[in-house]
Amino acid sequence: MNMKRFVILTLILVFCGTSQSQTGTKKKRPLPYEFGRVVLNNYSEKADLPPVVFEHWIHRSKFTCRVCHVDIGFAMKAGQTGIRAVDNERGYYCGACHNGKMMVDEKRVFAACSKRVNYEDQKRCDRCHSFGKKVASDFDFFAFSQPLPKERFGNGIDWEKAEEMGLINPVAFLDGFTAPKRNLAAQKDFDLNPKVEGLPDIIFSHKKHTVWNGCELCHPEIFMGVKKGSSHYTMVDISEGKSCGACHVTVAFPLTDCQRCHSKPVKP
Amino acid sequence: MVTRLALKKTIAVVSLVSFSVLWLAAASSAIAASEPGPQEVQAPAIEAWQREFDHVCSKTQDAMGFSEQELAVLIQRCDTLQTKIEKLDETRKKVYAGRLKMCRGLYAYVLESKRNDKK
Repeated sequence: MNMKRFVILTLILVFCGTSQSQTGTKKKRPLPYEFGRVVLNNYSEKADLPPVVFEHWIHRSKFTCRVCHVDIGFAMKAGQTGIRAVDNERGYYCGACHNGKMMVDEKRVFAACSKRVNYEDQKRCDRCHSFGKKVASDFDFFAFSQPLPKERFGNGIDWEKAEEMGLINPVAFLDGFTAPKRNLAAQKDFDLNPKVEGLPDIIFSHKKHTVWNGCELCHPEIFMGVKKGSSHYTMVDISEGKSCGACHVTVAFPLTDCQRCHSKPVKP
Repeated sequence: MVTRLALKKTIAVVSLVSFSVLWLAAASSAIAASEPGPQEVQAPAIEAWQREFDHVCSKTQDAMGFSEQELAVLIQRCDTLQTKIEKLDETRKKVYAGRLKMCRGLYAYVLESKRNDKK
């Protein structure tokens, strides 16, 4: 009898093992300093340059999402903007700030692409075109994140709390790009019921999202449904980068941090 | 007598010419003083389409508070802007067409939402 049980158990384990191995590979969880990293290679390698490595963490600590993704016009998906060197030279996209003139934290922001490149410029090119290279950065992630409130996932930083505490102050205005706007009236939070019974409701805070994003970053491109409850979101879709996943897979706290969204206590 | 007259004429012509030269020099220096120097060259004037773009798309924060008619007017203005943006150079066309799409999209989204609420 015991032998029979042992055989059945072994067969179950073998079956589970093989079925798991056939359903795909487990994604490597990015390290805190890698979370939000974007590699851009629309034109770089065609121009004999390494792809660009963009670090979200340093940029999001200085500017709101809206400044870059609405006012400057960076697409929400890596590679979709199709940034060319000439765009940067003309003062758009990366060149909006990386123009060799702009000052951030009393530091001059290095210029992005330029037509004439000499040997000394090589180091400047390497600062962005750094994929596969060991390039020293002006900003050290560990030194930067050390005083900031901690979170378990993503960059390991509670960005929202960091702003509340005044440890970071993302700027919402970029001269020449941002049109002066009135502050958005706070919208009410609402809850969304998950399909799985027993799982806490999702409390969606419009306020938290609009402070950094405004309205047009999410509507209608990411969230199309105009009537509450008319769109259905699944965790599979979200994990593939749809709806909440547009940010909460790549940059904002990740899906593994369940209770940050499923935060309403379950009714007894 | 003739030489005296000629001399007087010459003096008159010379003094008229020198007066004109002096007046021109003074006038040009006054104009130069009123113009900005290389250090104070003003930024190029914002083009009309860009002013219109800023005007139309700076209202997205207020979209929820607009009436259906106001939203329809804003969408119309976005469509007019679209034709102007398409004539820009490739970089600006790419940047502003994308931004306009977001801005128009939001107004259309809110308008649809308001119409749905009525049903």
